[in-house]
Amino acid sequence: MSVFDGLKFRKSFSPIHNLDPRIKFVYVIAVFISALLFSQILPLIILFLIQLPFVFLARVQKQWFRSLRGAAFLAGFIFAINIFTNFFFNNWSLTAFDVENALGMTMRFVVLIVSFSVFFLTTSPDHLGLALEQSHMPYEFAFAFTTAVRFVPVLAEEAQTIMDAQKARGLELEKGNILKRIRNYIPILIPLIVSAIRRSLELAEAMESRAWGAVKKRTNLYLLKLHKGDYVLIGITTFLLITTIYVRLFLFTYIPLVSNFF
Amino acid sequence: MSVIKINDLVYTYPGASKPSIDGVSLTIEKGEFVLITGPSGCGKTSLCRTFNGLVPHFYKGDLSGQIIVADQDIMGEQTFDMAKHVGLVFQNPENQLFALSVEKDVAFGLENLGISREEMRKRVDWALNLTGIYDLRERSPHEISGGQQQRVTIAAVLAMQPKIIVLDEPTSFLDPLSAERIFEVIYKLNQEQGITVILVEHRLDLTAKYTNHLVVMDKGKICFEGNPRNILCNDEISQIGVGIPKATLLYKKLKADGFDISEQTPLSSDEFANQLLKVLANDYS
Repeated sequence: MSVFDGLKFRKSFSPIHNLDPRIKFVYVIAVFISALLFSQILPLIILFLIQLPFVFLARVQKQWFRSLRGAAFLAGFIFAINIFTNFFFNNWSLTAFDVENALGMTMRFVVLIVSFSVFFLTTSPDHLGLALEQSHMPYEFAFAFTTAVRFVPVLAEEAQTIMDAQKARGLELEKGNILKRIRNYIPILIPLIVSAIRRSLELAEAMESRAWGAVKKRTNLYLLKLHKGDYVLIGITTFLLITTIYVRLFLFTYIPLVSNFF
Repeated sequence: MSVIKINDLVYTYPGASKPSIDGVSLTIEKGEFVLITGPSGCGKTSLCRTFNGLVPHFYKGDLSGQIIVADQDIMGEQTFDMAKHVGLVFQNPENQLFALSVEKDVAFGLENLGISREEMRKRVDWALNLTGIYDLRERSPHEISGGQQQRVTIAAVLAMQPKIIVLDEPTSFLDPLSAERIFEVIYKLNQEQGITVILVEHRLDLTAKYTNHLVVMDKGKICFEGNPRNILCNDEISQIGVGIPKATLLYKKLKADGFDISEQTPLSSDEFANQLLKVLANDYS
């Protein structure tokens, strides 16, 4: 059950939650591009710091920190690989510059993780589905997405029930070597799949009964409208992109290296 | 004026050897509250599916006979066209809700029909208020109880403003109290909005009092049809697995022992209690 807890979105309200998901997504992409433009650590640290106000405004520090901790292992791995390759190709020697370079690569990864996690922590699947619907994507995709999100907790509960039922009949899940353990899950997977298929049939029946496919152009109860905050974010995004591209094109060589100070 | 007219309906599911519906003829009048009951596998659900054309359009299979619903021959209509006239509510509320909020789910059918946003908003709020779940409109279907979920599905078909609402054992996943609340909502819709209601239900204890058109099915056929007061005191009915209300059973027993409490067969405990009180008051005076 706990595995699926992270997929459950908790409803909360903040200026960041209320932003238009499309604009938020464009912003994340802008941060993404900016992070790829630089390999030096200083601009990447600045990009990282820019994310912090969003986190605190959205009051998702706790979850955000958790996702950061989850990424720590991968970040460490990236750092180690970078250090090792530099070490290897530079004839078994390591300079301060190499360490900074490796740190920069790691920081770039962290910036990407951070911006995406803020996006997913503050955008309800509801909102995301709506954004998909209203960005001229075929409705079927948006529907598949929201339905999938809708049924995650339902199927998780069902998996738990089946697990309990099979355990009650003497199935031991944590027994044997790894291959045996994987095999142990077959008596859980099969009923789960069968019931999911049955569920999907019932779902199709209910959809048909509610006029699915009646008209070519569906309407929508909600309309995504841009508010003040969205325009502010558009401003920030544009400013960020222009600045980073300008710096990259004309001031790239002036970016100070921390290792030069030592 | 009849809203549903079925003539000599025989229907076999693809791959089945026996027909699920075997020679059914049924007429339902506008504004009626019809109760269909019978043991499991008697063809009630299949019959419900014919009302909006799920049988035979969605399930395929062999069908003969004629089904006219809201002046349309269902053979010539798609299910999504029939959805405007007939709303179907199924057993498991969980599998009828697709959206991530109650409100959005109620709007689902209207969105499919391409109704304008202002009109949709009006109808959604109306349906939510009528079923008493307006306060839940922004909750996710996973967060609310089974009874509330089933009310959402009722609101969802209601928003499409059908002439007929068909409920196929809507309370089989619910506890008796939530079930009773659902029945009251349905009865209110029938009385106040004049919507024709067709309810498939085992719990006659709770529902017999609402209807004067009871249909008892067994093995794909209709074996009894008419006023529940006449049908439920029939001796043959106890042979088919039908849950006769306990008050009716007690009344029959007392009558067999020579205690004639009232001319009218009671259908609910409350009704029987009142009859008893009346008799007792007469005896004391």
